[in-house]
Amino acid sequence: MQLMRPTLVLAGLGLLGTLAVGSGAAVAQSATPADPSKPAKIGSSLIGKLEGPEIILDAKAFPKTFKEAPVLAAEVKAGKLPAVEKRLPEASQLFVVKPLHEIGKHGGNWRRAFTGPADHENGNRINSADKILTFDYTGTKIIPSLARDWKVSDDGKTTTIFLRKGAKWSDGKPFTANDFMFWYEDIYLNKNIVPTPFFEFQINGKDGKMRKIDDYTVAFEFPEPYAFFVYQLAGSTAMGAGFATRGAFGNYGGAYAPAHYLKQFLPKYSSEDAVNKKAKELGFDNWVSLLKNRYSWALNNELPVMTPWKTVSPINTPTWSMERNPYFWAVDTAGNQLPYIDRITMTLAENAEVANLRAIAGEYDIQERHMHLAKLPIFLENAKKGNYTVHLDPGLNGSDVAIHIGNSFEADPEISKLLKNKDFRHALALGIDRDQLNEAFWLGVGSAGSVAPAPDTIYSPGAEWNKKWGVLDLKQANELLDKVGLTKKDSDGYRLRTDGKGRLRLEMVTVGGQFVPYTQVGEMIKQQWKKIGIDVDIKELERNLAFTRDNASENQMITWANDGSEMLFLFPRHALPVDAAESHMGMAFAKWYASRGTAGTKPDDPEMIRAFDLFRDAYGMKEEDRIKNGKEIWKIIVEQTWSIGTVGQSPAFMGVRLVKNNMGNVPERQINAQHARTPHTSMPITFYFK
Amino acid sequence: MVAYIVRRLLLAVLTVWAISVLSFIIIHLPPGDYVTSYIASMSASGSAVSEGEANALREQLGLDKPITIQYAKWMGLMLQGNFGMAMEWGRPVADVIGDRLTLTMVISVAAIIFTWALALPIGIYSAVYRYSFLDYVFTFVGFIGLAIPGFLLALIVMYVGFAWFGANVGGLFSPDFVEAPWSMAKVWDLTKHLPIPAIVLGVAGTAQLIRIMRSNLLDELRKPYVMTARARGLPEYRVIMRYPVRVALNPFVSTIGYLLPYVVSGSIIVSLVLSLPTVGPLLLKALIAQDMFLAGTIVLLLGVMTVIGTFISDLLLMWIDPRIRLGRQ
Repeated sequence: MQLMRPTLVLAGLGLLGTLAVGSGAAVAQSATPADPSKPAKIGSSLIGKLEGPEIILDAKAFPKTFKEAPVLAAEVKAGKLPAVEKRLPEASQLFVVKPLHEIGKHGGNWRRAFTGPADHENGNRINSADKILTFDYTGTKIIPSLARDWKVSDDGKTTTIFLRKGAKWSDGKPFTANDFMFWYEDIYLNKNIVPTPFFEFQINGKDGKMRKIDDYTVAFEFPEPYAFFVYQLAGSTAMGAGFATRGAFGNYGGAYAPAHYLKQFLPKYSSEDAVNKKAKELGFDNWVSLLKNRYSWALNNELPVMTPWKTVSPINTPTWSMERNPYFWAVDTAGNQLPYIDRITMTLAENAEVANLRAIAGEYDIQERHMHLAKLPIFLENAKKGNYTVHLDPGLNGSDVAIHIGNSFEADPEISKLLKNKDFRHALALGIDRDQLNEAFWLGVGSAGSVAPAPDTIYSPGAEWNKKWGVLDLKQANELLDKVGLTKKDSDGYRLRTDGKGRLRLEMVTVGGQFVPYTQVGEMIKQQWKKIGIDVDIKELERNLAFTRDNASENQMITWANDGSEMLFLFPRHALPVDAAESHMGMAFAKWYASRGTAGTKPDDPEMIRAFDLFRDAYGMKEEDRIKNGKEIWKIIVEQTWSIGTVGQSPAFMGVRLVKNNMGNVPERQINAQHARTPHTSMPITFYFK
Repeated sequence: MVAYIVRRLLLAVLTVWAISVLSFIIIHLPPGDYVTSYIASMSASGSAVSEGEANALREQLGLDKPITIQYAKWMGLMLQGNFGMAMEWGRPVADVIGDRLTLTMVISVAAIIFTWALALPIGIYSAVYRYSFLDYVFTFVGFIGLAIPGFLLALIVMYVGFAWFGANVGGLFSPDFVEAPWSMAKVWDLTKHLPIPAIVLGVAGTAQLIRIMRSNLLDELRKPYVMTARARGLPEYRVIMRYPVRVALNPFVSTIGYLLPYVVSGSIIVSLVLSLPTVGPLLLKALIAQDMFLAGTIVLLLGVMTVIGTFISDLLLMWIDPRIRLGRQ
């Protein structure tokens, strides 16, 4: 394994790929050992059993006496804090967790890496317990979180949530339905703050309303059936991701906010001049930009929160540090107030390579973000020295590198015509040797196939659809290309255009410096497509440029992960062109769908219209019908191949987890998915130092 | 002489204004804006921004307005001494840069001191004892220094430090001191971390300066006035240091103009590799995120520093070299 050492330096060179538009070739290839069968075994042995903590819903089983962290007990003794019983919600209203392995110990400082102020998701995902509802550790079942219960009316038009009586903000002020109404009336409906309504809070373009039933009951009401809204409250959405997370995003989601604190920044409660004056004094343009800053838990350490930890030193400094929220509303089955860990300290790594090197040195306690799958051999080599264990958490999405077809690409009529031809897309899909890609770039731990999600996810149409149009079949690919009319070839064996303008040259856009080495994967596909006579130029673009070209439907093909697509209705943008904020497979169509036909271009593919209809209708449907629609949509997506799948369900996307051996209650495997806010569903509040 | 200085000053102001327009245009040249970049970076890290949120963000940041209006807003703010908000950081630009400026200057000055302290004596030695054994050694080492890119050296030094000496990887402080308030212990911690970046940043410059100093001095040593001085029996030390070295210093002085911007930005790539909390990585991130106020202010700052530096080196050259002074009159 001595030979592996220089690869570390080479891996570091990959950084330059992100700087210049160069390539991270060294990253992927240097880490690929000569014998491909070996790492595959290592890799699969690192994927453990899916496990996690359970929540106790039966109030009879709740603990009656409570204990707290020694740091807080000292403050109680000094008279700075009320006793733990006074800080927790009423005994019957608690959030009670049975930790994964055992009751933990209070204390400790969890060390992690972050890469700068844009990396707020790093902390948000650990601190996501303030979501209204959430998913259990399997990522499939909705469970309570900030709200202790919920109810959906029979007609699907009303979703009611029940809050925990006696729950308090991190400054000790009561948390009630008034905080929801404050958010709705003073934040959400204020056009200066939220100019465009959230799509999650609308059904078929019609606005939802929020209504206070009593101090601990809030109802979300819609003019049309919207049974799916409960998923919006549990998912990673503007309504459900929690006040802290959405505040860090800077877009005021979350459905509640600390009224007692934020009122001082709103003109309504003083005057526009007064709040503007305050903003100017603090160096902000106007009150809106001051509010935005004060609204973010990552930036503002005075902000009251409902999360397990609160910021001490903000994210725009060299260390983003957090300390425990003394009023956090959860306990374990023995009555210990959670979280166990006192502090979290994230140190700034100016680039991900430095974070990886520090992780190898054992400087982080638990780190899954920014860890590169390609460095797995080096992680394993240093595991003993760094005193950590490596876990792999495969994703649920079908393809970490999906080749999204520019279905609304028009710039070159001949290529546009081909891309719109299903047979042509099928031929491209059948011309890819996914096993070779899997060995070379995923160390054999991924699953090769179509873009369809993992077979055990709820909208999966069945395992056979993971292989459909997702295998290597050169013969059929060549037949299909001949059928399309691309029969003539040049002396190099590449097919010619039918309009007589020489060789058919496709262009595939890739983005460098991401979790997955898109460009290198693209280069290998280029070699593979040579066998079906297809010439493709791999064009690595800066991420922003690639997205801007997407927005103008200028990319013929672009490689991007289809992460999140397993929860089709929560995060459809990587599965269907329906979201005008981001769409790789036809932005013109996405605009058409999102604007309900008033902008963009109507798709000419009737199957796409059918998928759109099934998709739109599903939001109002009951669970079982919605699942039926979801499966049908996935069948259409796979059959039409608007995106070509390669290798997925792998840990490449934030699924390489380094855990120090003295950490307790950390699952062998956790759900690695966007809606699960990984690692949130493993409940970091129950992690502890042994 | 005064008229010359006034003219230069007026030109400098005009240049700074031109730089501000140019830097603003340059930042707007890449396609998309801060919001597209934000959506892309969220998507890359497995999160999402909805269309409504994106539009709201654009409106709040004024990105939906024409570029001329955005520029006027920026100028207006700057005339009030306010450089705007750094979008990604959620803090005033002046604070964000200010935080990193001191450390950047510490590192850069350390690197410059290292460079000069090594390059000047070696350069003089190599010229005076041309083709001696040590001259060959210095030349050899110097060319290696020139040939190795800074980032590669940084990677090697970092790896060696990590693998053999168990040093912290990158950064300027040990983890315990990053957050700590300033104290003697923290200054000592910084002093311990400083040599690596200073050497890495200084090596290429040192090699270059040695070569420049050596060839300049060689040109001078051949001139008749040196021979005259020797013939008159001046001590060898005075013969060399008093006149030829002074003349050979000219190129050093004229590059001060480029040193100043270097002092405030540091080297971007090396800082990034070594994870140094300096202005360099800040500029890179701001450009990638299209954070126009932050990137614009840094680019402008670099421009202003170049203008000031050039101005100072002009003055210094006048002072150091009577020929320029007299020629002007």
